[in-house]
Amino acid sequence: MGWEEKQVRGYSEFVETAQRYHGRPIFALFCGDKDAEGRSWCPDCVTAEPVVRRELHNMPDESVFIYCLVGDRAYWKDPNNEFRKNLKLTGVPTLLKYGTPQKLVEEECFKAELVRMLFTED
Amino acid sequence: QEAAKYEKKVMVLDFVTPTPLGNSWGLGGTCVNVGCIPKKLMHQAALLGQALQDSRKFGWQFTEEVKHNWMTMAESVQNYIGSLNWGYRVALREKNVTYENAYGEFVGPHTIKATNKRGVEKLYTAERFLIATGERPRYLGIPGDKEYCISSDDLFSLPYCPGKTLVVGASYVALECAGFLAGLGLDVTVMVRSILLRGFDQDIANKIGEYMEEHGINFIRQFVPIKVEQIEKGTPGRLRVIAKSTKGNQIIEGEYNTVLLAIGRDACTRKIGLDKVGVKINEKTGKIPVNDEEQTNVPYIYAVGDILQDKLELTPLAIQAGRLLVQRLYAGATSKCDYANVPTTVFTPLEYGACGYSEEAAVEKFGEKNIEVYHSHFWPLEWTVPSRDNNKCYAKIICNIQDNERVIGFHVLGPNAGEVTQGFAAAMKCGLTKEQLDSTIGIHPVCAEV
Repeated sequence: MGWEEKQVRGYSEFVETAQRYHGRPIFALFCGDKDAEGRSWCPDCVTAEPVVRRELHNMPDESVFIYCLVGDRAYWKDPNNEFRKNLKLTGVPTLLKYGTPQKLVEEECFKAELVRMLFTED
Repeated sequence: QEAAKYEKKVMVLDFVTPTPLGNSWGLGGTCVNVGCIPKKLMHQAALLGQALQDSRKFGWQFTEEVKHNWMTMAESVQNYIGSLNWGYRVALREKNVTYENAYGEFVGPHTIKATNKRGVEKLYTAERFLIATGERPRYLGIPGDKEYCISSDDLFSLPYCPGKTLVVGASYVALECAGFLAGLGLDVTVMVRSILLRGFDQDIANKIGEYMEEHGINFIRQFVPIKVEQIEKGTPGRLRVIAKSTKGNQIIEGEYNTVLLAIGRDACTRKIGLDKVGVKINEKTGKIPVNDEEQTNVPYIYAVGDILQDKLELTPLAIQAGRLLVQRLYAGATSKCDYANVPTTVFTPLEYGACGYSEEAAVEKFGEKNIEVYHSHFWPLEWTVPSRDNNKCYAKIICNIQDNERVIGFHVLGPNAGEVTQGFAAAMKCGLTKEQLDSTIGIHPVCAEV
């Protein structure tokens, strides 16, 4: 069956989508919002996104890849935003396997080998 | 990781043979997965339970009864361990260390066969090998032991509360586990064949045992189990344990939900093909003798950690030995690992920190006339208000009269013993004498000032 991608924006949309696919492997990439030209305010996210996308085919069958825009820079910098509080995110970009302690943060997401390891780890 | 720093091509083979009950775990070894880390977290859970009791005397008011949920604790602990396992995977990958989740064994000179969990075999050759396979819990060898008993390998990820528990053994593993299980509110009995904490200062070992007994842990002394039967299946089930006295023919029976075996650990050296490359091991114990550079009798094969003969079985020691070894091999360093004055702590309900000689060992080595023992009881300030025991905490130092009253043994029994001991270990490494100790002003009010 392969895998599918869902694009969401904001915390509640993320949670709702993750819950909908409960039971399937869920991977999520969190990035800063993009402007009208499609560029994110987060330069590291701009670097990481193509690296991650190139490795998506390594995800196990039935996986769901959630691409989540977290909000604008001000929202992200707020130490009490929902992503920080509830998902314990510490930076963007973050790539994680939902429901496990496995995640890659910031520059770790630039490394294809680490991304591949996250997608294929038992 | 250290070797990779020096541009060496490195591979790590890590494989966990499942326990008799099918349990396994991730990268990180015993300490991280089924040892120090989960143990300390669960010990902390038990201490927090005690703190909640004490808090009423300090003015905290809560009317609800406080209960403990095993599943919540186990899940948090396992989650943390999972993040450590993952952290190691990332670290190895970032440093270009090849990792294989496969069982390694020697098949010939400089050659290893790696078998993964699906049975796929691969061969690898290398210039040098480092064995750090550690140990696994020993079983009793009686009917019912592998089918119905658990070990520390199973306890920290047990998916149900163990209930009324019999702990067999008197090692620090046994006493620490018995301690936190009781601290969490469970009915705990410890069955001891002879003495407590063999190898540790016996004066202190007995005080630890007394404290545990006074705080609700039952001890059955001088008995060994001879049979374990299942009365009822379940999570937990019900087990019947039949035990025989070590001093006669008396037989006793008891019923428990869980039986935890903590009677010792055996080195994982017998099934890794050491005979194929000629590495000598102690046939009786399975341990590997090495020289003071961690080298076995085969020059290109080294070993560190719990599998070494006659060395303390501690994580930081193994890590240090490994790092120094690599620095000697690839960075021209000359420092060898210092196995003397290694501090350690037993996290029983009353914690025990020690560094250097026990009283018995000091007497044996230096002679009773040549050592002086200074000791005192103390009452931690934090224990006064909630009226906790006022004569249980204890500290003692052993000095070598012939060497300027140098402190050769340090022992403390009380809260935060590990934190207290660490600093004194550094001082002992510098050659601390009694006079220097006396002239050091204490911090007040803390336990360490004693």
